[in-house]
Order: sequence, then structure tokens, then C-alpha cells
Amino acid sequence: MNRDYLIFDIRRTLRNRRVLIFSILMPLVLFLIFGLTIPQDANEAGISAIAYVMVSMAMFGSMSAAMSSGGVIAAERDGGWNRTLRLTPLKPQAYVVNKVILSLLLAVPPLIVVFLCGMIFGHVHLSATQWLTVALVSWLGALPFAAIGLVIGYIAKPDSVQPITGLSTMLIAAFGGLWLPVDQMPSIMKHIAQLTPAYWTGQTSRSALTESGVDTHALLVVIGWTVVLGLIGLRRFRADTARA
Amino acid sequence: MTTTTAVSLRGVTKRYADVQAVAGVDLTIRAGEVVALLGPNGAGKSTTIEMLLGLVKPDQGTVQVYGGTPTDAIAKGQVGVMLQSGGIIEDAKVGELLNLVAGLHNDPMPVEEALERAGIADLTKRTMKGLSGGQKQRVRFAMAIIPQPDLIVLDEPTTGMDVESRRDFWASMHAETARGRTVLFATHYLEEADAYADRVVLMRNGKIVADGTAAQIKASVSGRTIRATIPGADLAALASLPGVRNVETRGDVVLLQCADSDNTLRHLLGNTSAHDIEVTSADLEDAVLAIADQNKAQETLA
Repeated sequence: MNRDYLIFDIRRTLRNRRVLIFSILMPLVLFLIFGLTIPQDANEAGISAIAYVMVSMAMFGSMSAAMSSGGVIAAERDGGWNRTLRLTPLKPQAYVVNKVILSLLLAVPPLIVVFLCGMIFGHVHLSATQWLTVALVSWLGALPFAAIGLVIGYIAKPDSVQPITGLSTMLIAAFGGLWLPVDQMPSIMKHIAQLTPAYWTGQTSRSALTESGVDTHALLVVIGWTVVLGLIGLRRFRADTARA
Repeated sequence: MTTTTAVSLRGVTKRYADVQAVAGVDLTIRAGEVVALLGPNGAGKSTTIEMLLGLVKPDQGTVQVYGGTPTDAIAKGQVGVMLQSGGIIEDAKVGELLNLVAGLHNDPMPVEEALERAGIADLTKRTMKGLSGGQKQRVRFAMAIIPQPDLIVLDEPTTGMDVESRRDFWASMHAETARGRTVLFATHYLEEADAYADRVVLMRNGKIVADGTAAQIKASVSGRTIRATIPGADLAALASLPGVRNVETRGDVVLLQCADSDNTLRHLLGNTSAHDIEVTSADLEDAVLAIADQNKAQETLA
């Protein structure tokens, strides 16, 4: 990891309003629309429906923030910046580690914003342990999406990376059941949802609020997705740096 | 002080599809030298530089920088590089970019100092994409000196600069060479090679066709021309002097092309009534064109 590079990336990302709006405002607005309109006593999958939507939207925010690091990578690959980096002592692996850390850092603000809104306006009551667990799980649940960001960053061109990231974020979120609970949809939708990593990250985060605790099956699937997507990301990265 | 070898290329070749970009280059650069790699577009300058930096692997031959691989030298921060174009982040601010580059090296100079030396202290808050071509080149120059490198490599550093920026740039560069840094720069501007390099390496069709000081290269081709007024000169006697290649007359004025102008001068002053004597050397451009022609002729024969 390189600290100065991280600071550089954070400053640059903070200037990019599109990323901020998409990753913080979108989940917030969706939570306000779909979460706060739910009656306080409604339940969904064994937990309060408002808490359910809150966690889903927080997960959606951390996921889209994590994926946005792909835009940074694509922009840097363009215009020979990678060549410049190869002429410095920075190790290529440190570059990838940096971008994954950037993804995880970008995933923090949407989580905080949505959870605070849930607490204040949605009157979601959780124990300190539950808050901590759900925050941690939602945060680390961004990892498979950081890997997707890496893959997109290494295959997309700078001018196409925004629409590709935006579209895939929305498709994964919608079909993965982060926007609307799949239990309320035809069963075919649930089968489709289970093919996306978002369903399993959502499932893991929400299960942290149930009496039985974190769904280990879902957690294992998330870890599996992280490993597989991470390997694909590394492959793309290797292919890219090997090219002279 | 011992002289160390900064760069050593031995029998280096590189082929791209059906183009032999570099066709066997041997080049040794000693520490402290300022070397111009001169040649037309497509001569193999950039490919040679890319191999020297480890960006491109040679098909054959070895490349050493300070006795190790280029990658090792770069990892140690011994090499500062200024690329011809690109290599920057357009939406970053100048100050941010230089802070980042400093952060990537082990022993950088303070960013303020680099800004000062590159003459861009007033541009810190400006975004890269708003800068002129010349200003961007200065940022690239600052990026090249930040690691406090022993060797600075510049690929056509003044491309796209106007005359004034070019002069300012070389003034900044001169300050670096005065600090004892070794410099290798590629250029197709003859006057830059002539004015700023201790040594000129001329490339053509992937090969080094001449290597020496600018003066040596000029002399190797056409020697010098002596122009003197000699009333009633004995042309046959002049033509038979050692080192005289050609004799022409224009009235009383005699033009002598000599390989060894000093000896010819001694003879003229000692034994003839020659006066109004001028000695001129061919300029580097003539030399380069002549060498290029010689090469073409050899290639045709081969």
C-alpha cells in the first residue's frame, strides 16, 4: 500500500460528484422512498421491514461505491499513466491493494449515511452489537464488488466505464434483491437473484439482524464470490501489466 | 573520482512485426555524460530508450543500468524519466500529481524544490488538462527530477514547445547537468544536440551510425573548409598537400577542403602569400545528411 497514492485517489474521487451522488444520494433517496413509507410494525424475513430495507440500501450504497474504483483504474490506464508508474519504485501489487483499499474507504460514507437515517428517521432500534455486526458485514460485503470494479477498470475504456459501472450496479442491485425483497416477487426472480453476489451480501448483512445471527451459508457464498472475482481481477491486472 | 558506467547496451535488437526497430546497438554511457540520441523519426531512438528503461524487452542483447537491470535501477530511484507525451493524470492538480510522484519514491526532493527548478511554482493549484503543452512538459520535467536520480532520460523533451519555452527548458536542464547528473535525451533537433550534449549518438534504421562530440561528427564527414585569398596560387601544389581533398577557385579566392586544416594552415601561412583566411566547419546538419547518404549508399551496395 502507498499512503500518498491513497490520499491522491481520495482527493480526486471526492471531486468527482457523479460518484458521490450515485453512491451516497441514490441509496439514501431509495431508503427514504421505500423504507420510511413502511409501517413501523411491518416485518420481513423475521426482522423489522424498515431495518430490512435500510440494510439493503446501505449494502447497495457500499456496493456501488466500491465498484466506482473501476473508473479510477480505467482513467489511469488511459494516457500512459501506467507507464509512468512502471518508471517508479511502486510495485504493481501495491497498486491493486491501493485500489481495493480505496474501494473499501469509498464504501464507508453510504453505510454511515443510510444507517444514521434509519436510526433517526426510521426509528430502527438495534443493540450496539447488532449495529456493529451489520456495519462490519455490510462494509466487508463490498469486497466482491471492489473486485468487480477492478475487472471493469481493466476491460473498459475511460469513456465507457461510467455507463458500464452504472448499468451493472443497477442490474446487480435490482436482480440481487437489494431494491425490492425477492420474497415478494415470483419465485423465478429468487432463482435469478441467487445468481448474483448482491443477493448473498444482502442476505448476509440482513441475517446479522435476525435471532439466529449471521447466515453462514450466505457468508460462504460471499467469500466464494470474492475469491473468484478477485482471481479474475488479478488475471486482468497481470495481462495488463505484462503488455509492454 | 572513478568513472562509473551509467548505461550499457550490448548487441541489443528489437523487431516489431516486419519492422526491425533496433538492429544491433552497442552503447556505453559513463556517469556525468550528457548524451544526445539524434536521428529522424523511425530511427529507433524511442525503442532504444524503452529498452533502456525496461519498458520493452530486447529480442537479443543485454541492457544494464548502473550494473543491474533497468527495473532494479528504477526501484532504487536512480533513474528519472521524462516521456514524450501522456504519462500524466489529466484531472489531477499539478501539486497533487507531484506530491504523489514524490510519495512513490524512496528519497525524493521536496516538491517545492522540484516546482521551483522546473519553473512552475505558480501552477500548483492548476489542473493538468488546463495547461499548455509547454507547461505540461515542465510538469513532466519536475516529475523526472523529483527522485533525485543519477540518470535522467528524456524522450524528445521539447516537442511541441515554442522557441522561448524551449530555451527556458534547456536552462533548467542545464542546472541539472551542472549538478553532475548523467543525461540521455532523444531529439530530432540538431541544434539541441549541438548546443546541449557533450556527445552525440546518431541513429538511423535501428543502428548507431556515428558517435562522438558534435565537433567530431562534423569533422568526420567533411573536415573543415579553408577560404583564403591567394593571388597566383599554385593549385596543383595545394592539391597535393597532405589532407587536402579538394581545391576550388573563385578568382583569387581559393577554397580548400581539408581533413587536417591545422597543417594546411601552417603551410599556407609559411609558404604562400595567403591572406583573409577563414576556417569553417560544416554544421552538424550537413554532417548528419552526409552520414545518412553514406549509409544509404552502403545499404544499396549491400
